[in-house]
Amino acid sequence: MNEVPTYVLERTFNAPPELVWRTWTEPELLGRWYGPGAETVVHRLDLKPGGLWLLEMRWGDKSNYQRVEYLEVTPPERLVWLHSVTDAAWNVISNPMMPDWPRVLLTTVTLGDENGQTKMRLTWVPHEASEAEIACFSAAIDGMDKGWGSGMKLLEQLLAELQASG
Amino acid sequence: MELISYKIKPQNLDAVFAALADPTRREILSRLATGEASVNEIAAPFDISQPAVSKHLKVLERAGLIVRDIDKQRRPARLKADAMAAAVSWLEQFRGFWQSSFDQLDGLLEELKRAEAKGRENE
Repeated sequence: MNEVPTYVLERTFNAPPELVWRTWTEPELLGRWYGPGAETVVHRLDLKPGGLWLLEMRWGDKSNYQRVEYLEVTPPERLVWLHSVTDAAWNVISNPMMPDWPRVLLTTVTLGDENGQTKMRLTWVPHEASEAEIACFSAAIDGMDKGWGSGMKLLEQLLAELQASG
Repeated sequence: MELISYKIKPQNLDAVFAALADPTRREILSRLATGEASVNEIAAPFDISQPAVSKHLKVLERAGLIVRDIDKQRRPARLKADAMAAAVSWLEQFRGFWQSSFDQLDGLLEELKRAEAKGRENE
């Protein structure tokens, strides 16, 4: 593995970048969409380089905590932050499901104007990661996104079989 | 992020990804997707020795991606789907998290646009 791959998500929103920007940066708006099916509580949001966004997602009596440290804030087109999972005291922890998953992911969100719509691109790369973390991340992205080729079809088939067998 | 439950131990996911990180091992898995095969049969299309293939098979076996028949002399290897399904769902989980969130954001944006339009009408 020579190069660390990038996790990429793209999506077009039917609204101008100025409006999308507000939904990503205003606490009361963020809380209304971030976290599927969860009650999202924004404990702090300090929108400036070095500022923190601390959020708690509640599913019933279970909570999950995330810590975001902004590195770059360029309205309405670019947000860069360091993303981590934390304990209830906002200490960065490794993912309980996969210890070698990178603890800190450099997240970049860009919003491009396309005839009044917003083309969003979100990327993740491991930040100051250990070799094991990079290996884990690379294997995950590589294996899923490109390395498989025809293998992807095979996986879909296997998943379908698994679901069928219950 | 809400964690989904897996049929295999979560610690094993690291082993699964480590096993999947190697292109030869991914080729071997693709080969096995077409049916069980012995070390000889697996080694044939590759420019590597049988001991090297055996080593790869051991890594895949430890990760729970394949099983090997112990009864038969040729010890054919077979794919085991559970571990791979877990590896795939790990990333699908992130994608699912964002996509569900973005669906909610779509709704919120429509609401904000309507509110803005209404605000303009009232000016």
